[in-house]
Amino acid sequence: MKTARVIFEEDSHKWIALVRDPNRPDYLIDTNEYLVIDNNDAILLDPGGNEIFPAVFSALSTEFDPRKIRQIFASHQDPDIISSLSLWLEFNPELKCHISWLWAGFVPHFGGNKETFVAIPDGGADIAVGNQRLQAIPAHYLHSSGNFHLYDPKAKILFSGDVGAALLPPGEDGLFVEDFDRHIRHAEGFHRRWMGSEKAKNDWCSRVAQLDIEMMCPQHGAIYRGEQVRRFIDWFARLEVGVIRG
Amino acid sequence: MAAVTQDSGVELRRIVRTNEEIKSVVATASRINLMAMNAIFLAKRAGQTALGFGVLSNELRRFAMDLQKQMALLREMTYGSVATVTALVKQARVNRVLERTRKESGGSGLTLIDEFMRTRHGASSVRHREQIAALNRRLNQMIADTAQLVELGSVLARSAKIEAAYGGPFAAALMQVSSDFERTIGTIQRSLENLTKQQDV
Repeated sequence: MKTARVIFEEDSHKWIALVRDPNRPDYLIDTNEYLVIDNNDAILLDPGGNEIFPAVFSALSTEFDPRKIRQIFASHQDPDIISSLSLWLEFNPELKCHISWLWAGFVPHFGGNKETFVAIPDGGADIAVGNQRLQAIPAHYLHSSGNFHLYDPKAKILFSGDVGAALLPPGEDGLFVEDFDRHIRHAEGFHRRWMGSEKAKNDWCSRVAQLDIEMMCPQHGAIYRGEQVRRFIDWFARLEVGVIRG
Repeated sequence: MAAVTQDSGVELRRIVRTNEEIKSVVATASRINLMAMNAIFLAKRAGQTALGFGVLSNELRRFAMDLQKQMALLREMTYGSVATVTALVKQARVNRVLERTRKESGGSGLTLIDEFMRTRHGASSVRHREQIAALNRRLNQMIADTAQLVELGSVLARSAKIEAAYGGPFAAALMQVSSDFERTIGTIQRSLENLTKQQDV
C-alpha cells in the first residue's frame, strides 16, 4: 500500500500526497498521486494506472472518503496517468475528468462517456474545488502535446506532472528533495529525452517563474520546496532538451 | 468473488470455442455455393441423360443460397457474442483489481470496498447470468435451425448420388460432384454436432 502524506493544511484546505508503495512490482514506474481537498470537496490529480489502483485507493481512503471525490485532473493522456479512470468511475459514475481538449476523444478508451470529460482549452482554465479555484497552466509538449499543470494559489503549490520528475534509486527516494545537486542528476536524462521542445520549455519557464510557488510536486520522484523550485526552473531553462543523449 | 471471476473465465473460454466452431462452419459452407454452380453446369452439359440430376442441382443451389443466408446470421451472432465476451472480460478484470484493493485496504476503506463489492457483485452477477443465458438461447436456436437446413441438404445430396447413376457417359463426373456435396455437408453436420455438444456442457 502507498503512504498518504499531508503536505499542506490550512483551515479546510489540504494537499495529500499518495506515494511510495513498497510492494510495487519493479516493472511499473513509480508515480505520485495528489488529492486536493477544500471544504470536504476533492479533486484527484493524475490518479495513476489500473495496476496501482489498489495501492492508491487504500492509501487515499485512510485520509478521505473516496466517494466524495468529485473531479479528476489528468495532466495528459499516458496510461500511468489515467488508465485507472474506469475504476474510479465505478465508485462515482458522476465523476468529472479535466483533460486537454486534444485528448478528450482518446482517453474515453480507458473509460467514461461524453458526460465524464471536461475539455481544457489550450490557454488553460480555472477548476473550482470547494471554495477555491485551481488554475490549469499550459505545459504543452512537456512532454505531451496537450499537457497541463495545476497551480493552487492558496497553498502556493504547483502540480507539475512530468516536469521535475526524477527516477530515484532505492535509498534516495525520500518524499522531499533534500540535496538539490545530488537529486537533479536523477532528473537530467529523463528531461533531456522526454521534454521534446526548447521553445515549449522556455515558454513554461517564463510562465511559472511569475507564479508564487512554495512547492513543486511532480508525478514521479521527490517534491521541490522553497528555493529548490527557483533552482529547478533555472536548471531546466539551461538544460538542452529533445535529445537522446546530452 | 473469486468464484464469479473463475466462472466468467470458464464461460468466456466456452464462448470462444463456440465462435471458433462457427467460423469453421462458415468457411466450409462457403464452398457449397461454388459446388452447386458446378453441379448445374455439369447437368446442363449432360442434357437429356441427367434430367433428374438437373432438377436436384437446382434444389442444391437453392439450398446453398439458404445456407449462405443462415451463415450470415451466424456470423452476425458471432460479432454480437464477441462484444458480450469483451464486456465480460473487462468486468472480470475490474473484479480482480477490486479484490486486490480489498486485500490492501483497512479500516473505513475496507468497510467501504466490502459494501461496494457486495452491491456490485450482486447486480453484476445477475446481469452476467442473464447475458450469458440470452446468448446461449439465441445460439441454440440458431444451431437447431441450421442443423435442420443442413439435414435437407444431406437428403438432396444423397438423392443426387442416386440420380448420378443414371447419367450415362456423365455418370462418373456427376457421382464425383454429388459425393463432394455429401462429404462437405457431412463436415458441416459434424461441426454443428460439436456446437450442440459444447452448448450442452
